[in-house]
Amino acid sequence: MKSAPGSALWLLGHELRLAWYGSSLGGGKRRPGVVSMLVWVLAWVAMHGIAFALLHILRRDGVDDTLAGMLVGGVLLVSATFMLSNALKACVLALFERGDLDLLLSSPLPSRSIFSVRLLGVAASSAALFLFVFTPFAHVALFMGRPGWLAIYPAVAALALVVACAAMLLTLLLVRLLGARRTRVLAQVLAAVAGALLFLLSQVGNLVSHDGRGAQAQHAAQALLHNGLFAPASPLWLPGRAALGEAVPLLGLVALALAAYLLTVGRTHRFFVHGLQQAAGMDRVARKPAGGVRFRFRSSLFDTIVAKEWRLIARDPHLISQVLLQLVYLAPLLILILRGGEVPEPAIGAGLSLLCSSLTGGLAWIVISAEDAPDLLRSSPAAARTIRLAKLAAATMPALLIVALPLLWLIVRAPLAGLLVAFTVTGAVLSSGLIVLWVGRPAARSNFKARGKENFQCTVMELLTTLSWGALAWALVSLIAGAGDWALAMAAAALAVALGALLLAWLLRRRAV
Amino acid sequence: MTNATPALQLRALRKHFGRPAVDGLDLTVQRGELYALLGPNGAGKTTTLRMVTGLLAPDEGQVEVLGVDLARDPAAAKRHMAYLPDDPMLYGKLKPTEYLEFVAGLWGLRPEEAEPRGRRLLDWLDLSKHAHELTEGFSRGMKQKLALAGALIHEPQLLILDEPLTGLDAAAARQVKDLLLSHVAGGGTVILTTHILEVAERLAQRIGIIRQGRLIAEGTLAELRERTLGGSLEDVFLQLTEQA
Repeated sequence: MKSAPGSALWLLGHELRLAWYGSSLGGGKRRPGVVSMLVWVLAWVAMHGIAFALLHILRRDGVDDTLAGMLVGGVLLVSATFMLSNALKACVLALFERGDLDLLLSSPLPSRSIFSVRLLGVAASSAALFLFVFTPFAHVALFMGRPGWLAIYPAVAALALVVACAAMLLTLLLVRLLGARRTRVLAQVLAAVAGALLFLLSQVGNLVSHDGRGAQAQHAAQALLHNGLFAPASPLWLPGRAALGEAVPLLGLVALALAAYLLTVGRTHRFFVHGLQQAAGMDRVARKPAGGVRFRFRSSLFDTIVAKEWRLIARDPHLISQVLLQLVYLAPLLILILRGGEVPEPAIGAGLSLLCSSLTGGLAWIVISAEDAPDLLRSSPAAARTIRLAKLAAATMPALLIVALPLLWLIVRAPLAGLLVAFTVTGAVLSSGLIVLWVGRPAARSNFKARGKENFQCTVMELLTTLSWGALAWALVSLIAGAGDWALAMAAAALAVALGALLLAWLLRRRAV
Repeated sequence: MTNATPALQLRALRKHFGRPAVDGLDLTVQRGELYALLGPNGAGKTTTLRMVTGLLAPDEGQVEVLGVDLARDPAAAKRHMAYLPDDPMLYGKLKPTEYLEFVAGLWGLRPEEAEPRGRRLLDWLDLSKHAHELTEGFSRGMKQKLALAGALIHEPQLLILDEPLTGLDAAAARQVKDLLLSHVAGGGTVILTTHILEVAERLAQRIGIIRQGRLIAEGTLAELRERTLGGSLEDVFLQLTEQA
């Protein structure tokens, strides 16, 4: 049955088609091909095997419905943070990045329909991955005589709709409070941080167990589990009970989703149009200077290039998200270092090296590979060597500055371990930058997210070098803490791989015209 | 380098991309000239300009800019030259002031000489009131004017422009044309390609017509008319490119 052109259903079809073409199945660039679809279908079928194994364990261990509801509820709550991250990204895309809204809003379609369908599109794109992961459990549970688990379908869809409404309201509120430009940056940062929330939560246990007051903290956690927010009767687990087919929680969740959807569409669709108008004009927002035109010419070419690169980095919302995400991942390490007491120095060394290497890789790609005006540089009389050095410095310095303080702290606490970590961090940062400089390929800045797929050779070398420097840090610090021959062998192997990757990149380096 | 040294001299320049794109091109442009290089699509105009500016290495031949061999001393040759391609070489996330600071840095200008020039160019091209906006929001004409400001900030003796008027409105096109004439009046040299033959007819002192990578005709408009049945530059251009 074909929907009438211009109807909400027809528009939803258009929205889903665009989401399908832009999905990760096709690498985000093209319509998914037969092979990639086949791979995903096979992965989905394999998920049924995993679901069977897990459900079998739950049945064997006699996990009752209450505990199962808590488990599923916990999984759904964690999933909701990822959904929020996806939904925020999708809202930013809908408002600021996709070019089709001008066309839609200039058509005779009511803006209310456009907004309602776009919101459904955000919900659908947020739900898709989680339906892919969770629906095998519903099917296997049905096979095992638990048809109630089929409620995973409506529960995940309802949760995604609630989260999509929250994300859209948050984005529109930010547009009103901060303006379109800042909202774009902030929403992307929030999306990144929301995605990392699971990591931070997973670290709470580690931090607590390393704390001298661990016993007290565990006692408090037990109390929470029995009486507080995490008690079995807590409303926190309602989504889990809904997903397992309990009628009242399920109806409640679906009703909540519908109410959130209707309210969001009804109350805010005009504001949505306003948000779009702001987004359309955001590039032209001019802040009038107080003292007229001001220049800040520099006498050194090196400084000029570094300043330009840092400006471009600071004004790129994707990059800011990336840097902040690294800082989020750095946070537990910083807490461990700064808190005092027993410190897992090998893990800290490896963590700092890995994070710095990964951050530098991203920055180097933007600064070196994604140069917006390569012809301007090549048509200038500036020495290519100076340009390359300045770009390398611009890409490596942020990571080194970010870890400077924790590194200094570590050096003060444990001088030899700190100096060894400083060595591996510097090696990791320089290696990542040099690999991109030598084997990176020119690319468009907008392809930042897909950079790994565009240059497989560079990606593999970056990954190798990142892991090697991380392993080297772990092994060296373990070695001075008294670890045996395994640490020496591991250090030698890691150093050989790190230097080997660097040598290979140098041999394969691209020659400038 | 004397005043008699040509601003640009190409000798037997060749470039192949599977087929010859530029095929033994000889060309001389004198100082103080506004020279228009015309030709149908795919004739080799842009390839020629990219070789002149050092963006493409020629397969054979020699490029001399103000008497300096580009292959031997590219930095010295580029120091007195500026290139403005069809698609302006800008950074969307930079403001016009920051863009000019960057370009001035690339050409090694001292801050005290760059600042008044930058201010004057922004005023001249009506960009001062947009000096604190990111260029990603600029119209095509504003982008082209900013790129032109960047090309002029180091006061090049040789200005090379590839389709500089594409997409500009009448007012912006007039500003750019005035600027080019003023550059030539001040002793500078301009080489431009254009599909708008009226622009070449009005501005250029000499015109070169290129087809399949070869110069098939060259001279003033009057000289080109003499070689053909006359008429407008459009008539002359069509006759020459169809004859060849």
